[in-house]
Amino acid sequence: MVEILKIEGLNKSFGDLTVLDGIDLSVNKGETIVVIGASGSGKSTMLRCVNFMEIPSGGRITLNGSAIGTASNGSVTYSEKELTGLRARVGMVFQHFNLFPHMTVKQNVMEGPKTVLKCSAVECSRRADKYLEKVGLGWKADSFPSQLSGGQQQRVAIARALAMEPEIMLFDEATSALDPELVGEVLLTMKELADEGMTMLIVTHELGFAYTVADRVLFLANGKILEQGDPESVLINPQQDATKNFLRGHGSFRLPEPNLD
Amino acid sequence: MGYEWDFGVVLRDFDLLLWGLVNTLKVTGLSLLFGVPLGLFLALWRLYGGRLIRVPVGVLIEFLRTTPPIAQLFWFFFAMPILLGIEIDPFQASVLTFSLQSSAFFAEVFRGGIVSIDNGQWEAAKAIGMDRNASLRRIILPQAVKRMVPAFLERAIELMKTTTLVGTISYADLLYEANNIAQSTYRSLEVFSLAAGMYFVVIFACSMGVRRLERHLGRTGETTTG
Amino acid sequence: MEHAWDFSAVFTNSYLLLIGLKNTIILAVVCLVLGLFFGLFVGAARYSTRIVFNWPATAFVEVFRNTPVLVQIMWFFFAFPIISPFDIDAFTAATLGLTLNTIAFSSEIYRAGIQSIHRGQWEAAKALGMNYTNQMRRIILPQAIRRMIPAFMNRAVELVKMTSLASVIAYGELMYQAKTISTIEFNPIEMYTSVALIFFVLIFPLTLFVQRLEIKSKGRG
Repeated sequence: MVEILKIEGLNKSFGDLTVLDGIDLSVNKGETIVVIGASGSGKSTMLRCVNFMEIPSGGRITLNGSAIGTASNGSVTYSEKELTGLRARVGMVFQHFNLFPHMTVKQNVMEGPKTVLKCSAVECSRRADKYLEKVGLGWKADSFPSQLSGGQQQRVAIARALAMEPEIMLFDEATSALDPELVGEVLLTMKELADEGMTMLIVTHELGFAYTVADRVLFLANGKILEQGDPESVLINPQQDATKNFLRGHGSFRLPEPNLD
Repeated sequence: MGYEWDFGVVLRDFDLLLWGLVNTLKVTGLSLLFGVPLGLFLALWRLYGGRLIRVPVGVLIEFLRTTPPIAQLFWFFFAMPILLGIEIDPFQASVLTFSLQSSAFFAEVFRGGIVSIDNGQWEAAKAIGMDRNASLRRIILPQAVKRMVPAFLERAIELMKTTTLVGTISYADLLYEANNIAQSTYRSLEVFSLAAGMYFVVIFACSMGVRRLERHLGRTGETTTG
Repeated sequence: MEHAWDFSAVFTNSYLLLIGLKNTIILAVVCLVLGLFFGLFVGAARYSTRIVFNWPATAFVEVFRNTPVLVQIMWFFFAFPIISPFDIDAFTAATLGLTLNTIAFSSEIYRAGIQSIHRGQWEAAKALGMNYTNQMRRIILPQAIRRMIPAFMNRAVELVKMTSLASVIAYGELMYQAKTISTIEFNPIEMYTSVALIFFVLIFPLTLFVQRLEIKSKGRG
């Protein structure tokens, strides 16, 4: 087993508000981890700390064996250059897609390889075609984002992240902004990625998806991992009262098989 | 009392007015050429500079925006040359003044355009490993500039109107020539009316162009949620 | 070459500058009051669908928005007296130019403000049996004016800056006084620097106030 990501003692506070309170997590290559929890539990912040969209207040993050940042006197400092390089190795998909509206679909996907990785034009184009094909949108390559449905836009966003050929993919409530009938196509794309062995860290409210796709489910509350394990033990037989309460609130939780097409 | 209009005398000097108009456009064009890029830098310094840059740049922008252009022109023409021990002619003083003055306004247009871009665009650029320069250059500015085009053109038109001041330091623009002709022909009514008409034709044509462009941009403007 | 700054002549002539400041403020206030007052009617005429009102108002607004204000002032000072039945001094010419300019710009602010009010407000007022004047005066304007205040303030700022143009036709406002003093005292550096500072002190608080208003009204949505 190869450990891709290690999080140790991760803390994050905004002013007086402590959002993450000592998170420890180890993610192995090819593992799919789903993070659930109420809003305000810190799950999105945890995800955003992994690629340093938010700078952690404390703790250490290690990617593929190399610790990020320079530790001295008990605190860790990060150089902008190091973080930029790190983000190129970690893919992220946002709730609101955030496609670049002034670029075509293909240009969106090529932008990272071209500007950040300095790939050749041929290589950029090859990657764009490959990953657009993978999310089933090769035929939309020359469209603009505004001409796409929400589900299609999110699949392009996934292709954009994949084109960087990242070591791990982060999904931050990737289906929350979508109309219900468009959720399925995005979840299906994510499931295919998981099946192919991509390492994924997913924040979602889709418990059915978590149940079928996750290797491990984490339940976060008040900035701590309260409970974790395989989907069966966390989602069906939770031990903690907080987890039980949370699951009770999700009446629409469909078991065992979500609608994935 | 019937005033007898006589444009004959005035039209004899029409080529002078036309040359004046050319000079007006020259000052306007050069000031835009310097003012727009300078405005971009001022905006970036004001937004992202360290405290030691941000604050003075902010003060400079506000100062240029809130003092009358004629005071600035006189300062650069009458005061600055003595202060620096240099010589400056009316044309140079005009271009200098209006480049700086318009750059302050353009800076605010740039700044407004940049901050109007959704934060998600910055995040998406950051997430694929772009640093701030690359994000600005590739993602933020291309979108911002498109939104700013009408505001830019409106500012450019304002600038053209403001350049009428250069006559006060004897640079031969359209209004200056009109004033000269009026004094030599005693036909102020015809000359000033004609000059006003010429300004109107040029500026109105520009305004109509801007309005059409605005409607056009409004139609094709992105309506994406992303 | 190092310039030895000497502001003493600025202070010994400060009473002349105060006269200039007073004249600047008088000109600005007169033009603002007249401009905003008549601007309402021109704005209403622009909003009207009847050609007799709409066309002349539109022509007026376009002419004054699309010519430089200095040209307007000089036209009223040098050209207009020839056909005018009464005498035109520098103050009158400047007032005419700046007021008509302010009318043209403020009428557009009124128009945009009135247009921004939802049609349902007109209909509700009409349903209560109000006539047009009452609909406008009691229902539409009170709502619209609040939204227009930042734009009017910006206009006021522009107007104060524009009053300096009256110096070109020898109206004794601040800029003109400064020019006169500097030719007598040979101190253009100190004089024009002082005048720029005075204008800044006069106008900057206004712009700060506008910015705060705009932020506030944005917050209210």
